[in-house]
Amino acid sequence: MSFTGFRSYFCDEQRSHCQLWAINVCRLIEANVTSLIINSEEMSDIRHALLRRDPLSAAKEVLYHLDISLGSALQSSTGPTPGLEKSMVELVEEFIFHVPKDRNIQPKRMSCVQELQLLEIMCSYFQEQSKDAIRQIIFSALFSLQGNKADESRMAMLGKLVSMAIAVCRVPILECAAVWLQRTHSAWCVRLAQVLMDDYCTLVPCAISTLQNICSASPRFCCQLITAVTALYDFSSDELTPPPALLEMLVGWITEDPRLLLLTFINTPLNSSLPLGCLEITPLLGLLRWCVKAPLAYQRCRKPALTNGHGESEKGTASEELYSKLHLSVLQVFLMLQVHLTEQNLIGRLAVLPVESVATLVEEVSRLCEKLTPFPAANHIQLALDRLAQALQVAMATGALLCAREDLRALCSRLPHNNLLQLVMSGPVVQPPPHSGPFQPNMYPHIHPGRPSSLSPHSPHPVLSPHPALSPHRPLTAHTAHPSLSPHAFHPAAMAFPYRPIR
Amino acid sequence: MSAMFEGNALSAMQTSHCHTPLNNYSPQELALEIKAFISGVDQTQGRKLSVRDHARCAVRLLRTVPACRGAVLEHLRGVYDEYVAAFLQDLEAEGENGGNSTSGGGSTSVSNLEDVIKEIHAVLSEFIKLSPKAWAPLVSTWAVDLLGQLSSKHAGRRAAPHSSSLNELLQLWMSCAATRSLMECYSQCLAAMLAWCPDACVDALLDTSVQHSPHFDWVVAHIGSAFPGTIISRVLACGLKDFYAHGYSSAEKINQQQPIDKSSRVPKIGSVVGILGHLASRHSDSIKKELLRMFQDSLSPPPQNVPPHSSGAGGWENSPHLRRATVPFLLQLAALSPTLLGAVSAELVEFLRPPVLIQLQAQFQAFPREELENMLSLAVHLISQSPSGGARVLKFLADTATPSSVIISGPTPSPHDSIREACDRLLQMLLLHLHKLVHNRPEGDEPFPQSSAAQAMLQVIPFLEELQENIGDLCAETLRLERKRHLWLHQLLCLLSVYGGPSVATEALCQLFTQARNPEELALASQLYTPLSTSLSGLLPSTIARCVAQIHTQTLDNKQLAQLLNNLGTAVQSQEEDRKNGGAATGSSAQSSMAAQVRVAISNHLQDFCPLLLHGDTVVSKAAVRLLSCSQLPRACSPAHLLLICRAAVSHFFVCLRQQGESLRVGEEEVGYSMRLLSRLAAYSPLTLKAVLQQLVEGALHRGNRDLFGGLQENPGDDTTQSSNLVPDLGVSLLDINCKFGTSVNFSGNVWSVFHAGVIGKGLKPPYTPSQPDPDRVNQNMQTLFAVMVQCCSSGGGSPSGNARNGSAGGTTNGRFPASEPLISDELPPINAEAAKVIAVTLVENICPDVANGELSWPPEEHAKTTVERDIHIRRCFEGNPVLFHLLRVVAAGRPALCYCSVILRGLLSTLLAHWEASREPSVLDSPWHLQTSCLLVSCMGEGQLLPPVLSNIHEVFPHISPFEVRLLLLGVWEYMRGNSPMPQKFTFCADQGLFFRDFSRDGDVARYIAPIHSVLHKNIDRLGHLCWRFQI
Repeated sequence: MSFTGFRSYFCDEQRSHCQLWAINVCRLIEANVTSLIINSEEMSDIRHALLRRDPLSAAKEVLYHLDISLGSALQSSTGPTPGLEKSMVELVEEFIFHVPKDRNIQPKRMSCVQELQLLEIMCSYFQEQSKDAIRQIIFSALFSLQGNKADESRMAMLGKLVSMAIAVCRVPILECAAVWLQRTHSAWCVRLAQVLMDDYCTLVPCAISTLQNICSASPRFCCQLITAVTALYDFSSDELTPPPALLEMLVGWITEDPRLLLLTFINTPLNSSLPLGCLEITPLLGLLRWCVKAPLAYQRCRKPALTNGHGESEKGTASEELYSKLHLSVLQVFLMLQVHLTEQNLIGRLAVLPVESVATLVEEVSRLCEKLTPFPAANHIQLALDRLAQALQVAMATGALLCAREDLRALCSRLPHNNLLQLVMSGPVVQPPPHSGPFQPNMYPHIHPGRPSSLSPHSPHPVLSPHPALSPHRPLTAHTAHPSLSPHAFHPAAMAFPYRPIR
Repeated sequence: MSAMFEGNALSAMQTSHCHTPLNNYSPQELALEIKAFISGVDQTQGRKLSVRDHARCAVRLLRTVPACRGAVLEHLRGVYDEYVAAFLQDLEAEGENGGNSTSGGGSTSVSNLEDVIKEIHAVLSEFIKLSPKAWAPLVSTWAVDLLGQLSSKHAGRRAAPHSSSLNELLQLWMSCAATRSLMECYSQCLAAMLAWCPDACVDALLDTSVQHSPHFDWVVAHIGSAFPGTIISRVLACGLKDFYAHGYSSAEKINQQQPIDKSSRVPKIGSVVGILGHLASRHSDSIKKELLRMFQDSLSPPPQNVPPHSSGAGGWENSPHLRRATVPFLLQLAALSPTLLGAVSAELVEFLRPPVLIQLQAQFQAFPREELENMLSLAVHLISQSPSGGARVLKFLADTATPSSVIISGPTPSPHDSIREACDRLLQMLLLHLHKLVHNRPEGDEPFPQSSAAQAMLQVIPFLEELQENIGDLCAETLRLERKRHLWLHQLLCLLSVYGGPSVATEALCQLFTQARNPEELALASQLYTPLSTSLSGLLPSTIARCVAQIHTQTLDNKQLAQLLNNLGTAVQSQEEDRKNGGAATGSSAQSSMAAQVRVAISNHLQDFCPLLLHGDTVVSKAAVRLLSCSQLPRACSPAHLLLICRAAVSHFFVCLRQQGESLRVGEEEVGYSMRLLSRLAAYSPLTLKAVLQQLVEGALHRGNRDLFGGLQENPGDDTTQSSNLVPDLGVSLLDINCKFGTSVNFSGNVWSVFHAGVIGKGLKPPYTPSQPDPDRVNQNMQTLFAVMVQCCSSGGGSPSGNARNGSAGGTTNGRFPASEPLISDELPPINAEAAKVIAVTLVENICPDVANGELSWPPEEHAKTTVERDIHIRRCFEGNPVLFHLLRVVAAGRPALCYCSVILRGLLSTLLAHWEASREPSVLDSPWHLQTSCLLVSCMGEGQLLPPVLSNIHEVFPHISPFEVRLLLLGVWEYMRGNSPMPQKFTFCADQGLFFRDFSRDGDVARYIAPIHSVLHKNIDRLGHLCWRFQI
């Protein structure tokens, strides 16, 4: 399939250029389909031949080779991921991403139309490639970042490809992109999100509806996109404030189906090893950040232009409403998360919201509040703090956030006064006989370290389970080796929290 | 589907919010659309898309598939290109068909594409409007690049005008829908981007401009006129960078090992000049501001903590090399464009304050020598070509180049020494350059008629043109004689004069003559004249004519006027002195040559100067008289002028005398000049002699002047009218007097004032006291008058002025008529008989109005009865005018002129006879006036040789005898006169003495008339014994 699939794309205009060579290669390939592993000599031959061709046909040729070599490798080998040969990677980089290999040979760049043609070919190819594995492999062979010079053009091409796939609704590509977003460092993910947002939110006026329709087609991609987008727009400046259209779309998505947010989390096998620095597994924290910071940030924006017209304030109230909705959705998702965690017996073991990230958020909020204090923004600060407090409470209650109340107090000490937050920090009124009380689901078992853990009915583990190694989240321990690199490295399960000895 | 994109429905739809049908495409449709776009084939119908449909397809993609925008824009390039090609083809076809619009397919394709282009434009502008931040950078880059590509690709077409004619290009391209649409897009982008990042936008523009340099200028020019502020500064900065890169200074760049790509690019400065020139028509102010700001920025210390885009010019200020290149760049720019030069030249100088100069100097120290030389000559060239502000530039240069001194400490501190030297050098080079320019001009009268206009253009030196208007200030500056400065300025004046021709030279000299305050300053005029005299003929006459015109138009105040006259006088006098020195001072031949010319020139305008003699301001009149006194009368002068001059001179003389009397010290010199003038006039011709003498006599006898010479005023009430008669031009206007008369009735002299003791309201009438003139004054005046008259009469020449002064100085105060003795001494040259006759005749005319019995011969004494009235009148005249006796003596000295006075003598004698006959006084001393008169009369007649010596001596005895005896003696005189008529023909000229003498021996016996003398002697022998010898024959 893969062979014919690709071949059909480049047989139309091929012959005029280098008919003989193409025929030869085809023959060669046909003769050797199963065990085609092109060695380096052959590679250099191919390369020389490609150098003579026009960039588009050369790129197609390379894709063809890639398809064949990977497809055949996948068939032949039984290993999970067949390795990509170095020479093949070089060919891809040279002829698709146009990274000069030789100093004296300046590769011919494709024109934009040719590039579009190539993208179209890729789109169709991925669409028609029926085998998920091959598709995945080829996608990652093309677009997984290598940390070299080609990454820039790789990103550019990927951006265009994904953008185009959104436009023409190529679900397979979007799925691949979702995976890519999951496995790539967040910086690159943010860049891809930026490209997509530019394309669909800012550049083409009404294209956002196209994007909106994607949700039904590829919710996974949307989930990842939300995560990336929340990482992108962090309210640090005007440019990095989410556009209203985007906000509206996201709220629409989430309210329609809140489970969207947990899609990646649920679908990700717990033992899959995620690379360092990749996006968070749920967009929850990002969305929470939006909800909490939005009142402050909009207030900050409005501050210099207090006397502006009404349009501004109307827009503000409209987005205020959206943020409220969003906040509600986030809280609901926490509740859903609790159900899921309970089902999976993960309560208290897996911190969906890393404490460190929450600490960063609190830090940012307190800084914003300080900046705003000279201005009459008490309402907005209180709103932000209310949301923060609610979210913290719900998160702790649902087990998404693993945090002791003392730590919380220390964390929130710099924030301005807020009644609700005060309540959350001081905790509920302690019921007199803890041991005799019935099960109370809202007692946050794991945030009272002094309490015997036996009170927690959720804990399926033995009370004195001595070691986290026994927990089913085995792979998480791997992160402890790199505590400073990834947010996930600070998983509470791996940390010496006060509540741990009593488990 | 395509129907809804037709026409204006599209744009109307776009402005509304667009959730509507635009995004109704399903993904499948979009995929087909993309395929169609890529392949150019309609996917559903399988036919090939037309250009137009293809473009529409592209536009649809642009609106729906963001990822396609690069490809779409690229495709649209082709559409635009096609349109432009078709457009130009149409134009060419039209041109070939001579206006027959038979272009078939071409025009349809143009119109076909035109609406597509409209659609494209509408979509793009909608996008830009909706989200400028996203689209403006994208579209602006694209549009500019495409514009550049189009304009350079089609530059060679026949229909396209040459790239140098910016306006035609602009017209062509703006009439083409495609390029116009691109231009509009770009303008829209720029307008949107100006708010947050103009630099990026303009940079793309200029980069393209560099790439397609001459063909793209119209774009920049057009954009520039739409966004002048941004574009001008950017264009300048870009030009500067290019200028720096292209080698104004090779050495510096080699030092820095900079990669230079000289091969490919033409220096962009031409484009910069073109663009700025285009903009200058409407935005010259901004350009000027920008250029000056650039200059200032290049000198001010580099900004330390300023963000690079704060100044908006792209941060060239931050590079020391660029900063250093700025000044040469600006110079180069100015050299290439007169417009820019004109814009800057006037105000640049204002910025060159000492601190700036120091920075400039510091900056220039880094330049290699030859580079500096180049810049220097460029600067010189520019200054000479700058159309305005030349005067300020010059002043600046001179100020800066003038050595600092303790004395001249202006408000600005003296600049650095090396700066001064540099300026000095610059100035000298400028002068040299101007010199070359001026002297290498082809002569105007060379026979090249065909090239006259072009050459005239070439000959124009704007710097000098402008300075011509400031020549007055220039002269004033020069005359300050400040060290080197006046040398420069003088040189410049010289050049200006040569350049501007006679009119300028005349003006300059005229200014110098007017403004010079002392001989040293005046010397500048001759220094200026000397080199000019070789090339310009008739310079001095026209100069003097101009001065005279200035006098006539009364543009000068009195002080200047006097200065001018004095200067002219000095100039003339210097020549006179040279001549006196016998040409020994050959060194000053230049000066004397000018002096001679001035003299000649002035002599032609004497009649114009003479009214100034009577100027109300003494300073002026003094200067005028000085000038006239030392200038020469022209050889051929019309009598009218001569008489005018004479009249003025004589009037002035009397005015002088009066002024001298009022304040001795002031008038003395002036009187001297006046005397000299009069004697010169008298010596000029018989006519003038006659006129002068006549007027002198008349003046002396004039009622108003009477008091000057000790005369009595007849009518005490007529003070005002007298004084106004006396000084005709003293500034009293006739109008004033008339007004006065009209408004307040003057009763003086009227019956009312006679009978009353005064006019009511004015108090008591002051009692009339006949003013007794100061005898010393009278004496002096008298002496002066006679000195003048004697000088006039003695046409012998010599040094009249010196003798006159001696005479008047020697005059003492002994007696009432002391002047007679020294005046009629043997030292004096003999009085000219002719002159004396004039005086005599004038006297007769003035004293004796009745001409009856006016013949020379004397009647018998009894007949005197018939003329009693006249005789009394004559006597009164003598009573009133003591000066008459002196005049008579002058006449007597000029024998035989006294003969013509015989009527007067007769009248006087007859009244004396009558007086002495009627006198019953015991002694003659009781009627002193008559005694004196008798003595004077007789001695005078003796002097005039009307009486023989024996008879003329009788006046010696008069004081000692009785009145009757006096009568007897006088009667004898009468008798003698009757017997021997006073006829001029009785006199013979004695050549060796130059005088006429009368031989009394031919007149018969004198003894007959001696008898009464002898009897009187006998009768009074006791008292008169010692005098007897006087009466021996």
